[in-house]
Amino acid sequence: MDKLIVKFIEEASEHIQIIEQNMLLLEKDPENTGYIEIIFRSMHTLKGAGSMFGFENISEITHDLENVYDEIRAQKRTLSRELFDITLSAVDHIKELIKFGNKIPEEIANNQVFLVQRIRAMISENVHEKNKLFISGESEPKEEALKNAGTYYISFKPFDNIFDNGTNPLYLIDELVNLGSSIVIPYLNNVPDITTIDPFVCYTYWEIFLATESDISIIHDVFLFVEDLCTLDIHKISDNNLLKEKKFVRKIDKLRHTGHDIGINEVQILANEFKDSVSQKVKKAMNSTYAQVSKDYSISSIRVSSEKLDQLMNLVSELVTTQARLNLYAQQNNSNELTTITETTQKLSRQLRDLTFEIALVPIDTLVTRFQRLVRDLSKELGKDVIFETQGTETELDKTIIENLTDPLMHIIRNCLDHGIESSKTRQELGKPEYGKIIMNAFHSSTNVHIEIIDDGAGLNNEKIRRKAINHGLITEDTVLSERQLHDLIFQPGFSTAEIVTDVSGRGVGMDVVKQKIAGIRGQISVESEKNKGTKITLIIPLTLSIIDGLLVKVENTNYIIPLSAIEKIYAIQHQQLKKSFNNQIVLDGKRIPYFSLRHEFQCSEMNADGIEQVILIEYEKQKVGLVVDLVIGEYQAVLKPIGKHYKDQEIISAATILGDGTVALVMDTSKIITHFNAHFLKSEVKI
Amino acid sequence: MNTNTSESSKNIIHSYLTFKLGDEFFAVSVNNVLNILEMTKITKVPQAPAYMKGVINLRGSVLPLVDTRIKFGMTETEYTSNTCILVLEIPMEKDTVKVGALVDSVQEVVELQEDTIQPPPSIGSRYKSSYIDGMAKVMDEFVMILNVASIFSGEDVINIQEVTDQIKQAAQ
Repeated sequence: MDKLIVKFIEEASEHIQIIEQNMLLLEKDPENTGYIEIIFRSMHTLKGAGSMFGFENISEITHDLENVYDEIRAQKRTLSRELFDITLSAVDHIKELIKFGNKIPEEIANNQVFLVQRIRAMISENVHEKNKLFISGESEPKEEALKNAGTYYISFKPFDNIFDNGTNPLYLIDELVNLGSSIVIPYLNNVPDITTIDPFVCYTYWEIFLATESDISIIHDVFLFVEDLCTLDIHKISDNNLLKEKKFVRKIDKLRHTGHDIGINEVQILANEFKDSVSQKVKKAMNSTYAQVSKDYSISSIRVSSEKLDQLMNLVSELVTTQARLNLYAQQNNSNELTTITETTQKLSRQLRDLTFEIALVPIDTLVTRFQRLVRDLSKELGKDVIFETQGTETELDKTIIENLTDPLMHIIRNCLDHGIESSKTRQELGKPEYGKIIMNAFHSSTNVHIEIIDDGAGLNNEKIRRKAINHGLITEDTVLSERQLHDLIFQPGFSTAEIVTDVSGRGVGMDVVKQKIAGIRGQISVESEKNKGTKITLIIPLTLSIIDGLLVKVENTNYIIPLSAIEKIYAIQHQQLKKSFNNQIVLDGKRIPYFSLRHEFQCSEMNADGIEQVILIEYEKQKVGLVVDLVIGEYQAVLKPIGKHYKDQEIISAATILGDGTVALVMDTSKIITHFNAHFLKSEVKI
Repeated sequence: MNTNTSESSKNIIHSYLTFKLGDEFFAVSVNNVLNILEMTKITKVPQAPAYMKGVINLRGSVLPLVDTRIKFGMTETEYTSNTCILVLEIPMEKDTVKVGALVDSVQEVVELQEDTIQPPPSIGSRYKSSYIDGMAKVMDEFVMILNVASIFSGEDVINIQEVTDQIKQAAQ
């Protein structure tokens, strides 16, 4: 039973997220009924599951809310701001309920009563409005409302004397038509020649196909007063709206031109033909509308615990390591068969690896709802009008990275809201749009994902940062800093420029914590800002944390891995040539390229003068830089292993990996290497 | 009853692994030692402090290696057939981390009664004495019982000679 409850909680949390997400979407696009449909469905499931697992209070609340949304769905009620607020606080409340299970604190129990009252009050408030809508809506039933319609066949053959008591059959037909959508076929084949016609006799008879939600008795009621004056035949031919089926309509059209009436037998056969196809189509149609609203709603998927996923990942990592040993062994034992097998397993393990990684990828989307909620609530609290926009949130990242990103991003967005965006009044004075804007933009770039948080607020205040930095002893009065260097100061520990510490930000955790956290997942953070234009914070995050494709190289006796994604091109070069080069630049393909000799930088012994080295060209901040190594061994799938806290200061090495022969190779962080040596190089130049 | 407990607490026996650096004997609590490895191929990490010898492959994971001699202000370890790696488990920044310590030779596991261990005399600064948990006499040799947690989690090079000399002096 406990297991089931865990499952319920898992599922309920998912439904809550769906509701929250769609509420926020709906708020932006109130016309889209698809969102309401999804919200309604999730609420309904929540209600059912809630009472099944003894969460009576959940089902109580969702039951009332469900009613409201049912009315909205049926267009008997309109969306209101109040409803959004109530729903969202109800969602929060349900979250609490799930959290506490059976032991609900009094405070929350009170909240329950309060919420239920609010919802009920809202339901009763709208009653008269509801009635009003009913009256106005009566005259023209909408096409869309016929979702649950059945199709009826009505054969109406008035007797000759129907006119005698003043009945106009056309009025009856009008009344029928108003019940839903219909095809009315009049038959005039009994009408005699004009010379013999009797104007007091009704010659015409009708066949009517009616799709309506009304009961068959209502149709009978239409003919209540003429029942004795006609032959009337009413049959329900389908539970679905056949008139939506083009094929059905076409067939009817064909049949009517045969000159005589179709007859119930023929119709029934026809209707049966459509029975199956209709229900399938309806289902399909329903699915597709949901698919439009939320792409991944109806994708068939299974739930796997993340623990299992981690296990799978570890196994694949071990497989890749073992594969490396096998490769080495195959190389040493020159057997054709062994080589073939090794190559095949190599291919398989690579595919398996890629697939496993893909499984663990999660779209950034999963974070967005939380942020939207944050912006919505916070902007209200702060009295600022803010729009939160997202782009490229389908970009996927490893789930552990996503988990580690939540807090930093939360903090950044909070900062934007609190410090960045000005109050509406200030914005007006500055001639900016009344609504502040925060954009979250995510995209791929080589093996990294970039996430940008852009606001159009006040921008960083250079003066304030400077003053603060001086107060904190980070810089002195006469330190000259470029704007960029000045902005980078905000990542220093204990830096918060908000003059008034609000509840929102400035809780002591500053951008330095954000930076640390991002560095923890091998990411980078940078800030760009312009006064009164806004601030852009960019996070660069690696795609995965555990395995990379790398190039195995050798420097003196040590093996290194350079991430393949960073590499542009490889050149062989004579050591002599490097020795003759000027100002750490060599000419490759006719271009001057700055280079760093890793032997030199790593304080290794000098290479033989006639030796051949290899230059690996790396793109670094849109510039090409060469790294000189002794030898390129080949491509290598590196399972990244942390090198431990003892090496936390060695930024240029991001991880280690174990090679097939059991030795350890070090994984270089190329951009850090170049920044590091660049700084070093500049320093030594200044000294001269 | 009360006297009995204090009696027995004094008689608690702890096990220590003793090893040699040069001519000096040292001991670490066996609780900190995971295993002892023979020398293996070390991968040097560039631009690291001299006492950080490199990393080795410890059954599929990567183990940072400290040259204990350099850490203690002695000359670099010269590899002999006796050179060993002690795999230690120590607390560091809220985590437990593994670290390898290169030593000249491993001696034996000794069992010492608590009352035979002399607490470190307060010497020089408290900072220095925090590296030593105590001192004992084993087979006529002074053995320094090391506080591996404080030694191997820090970044300092410790002049162990100075520390041991002072302790020995204070003891006599």
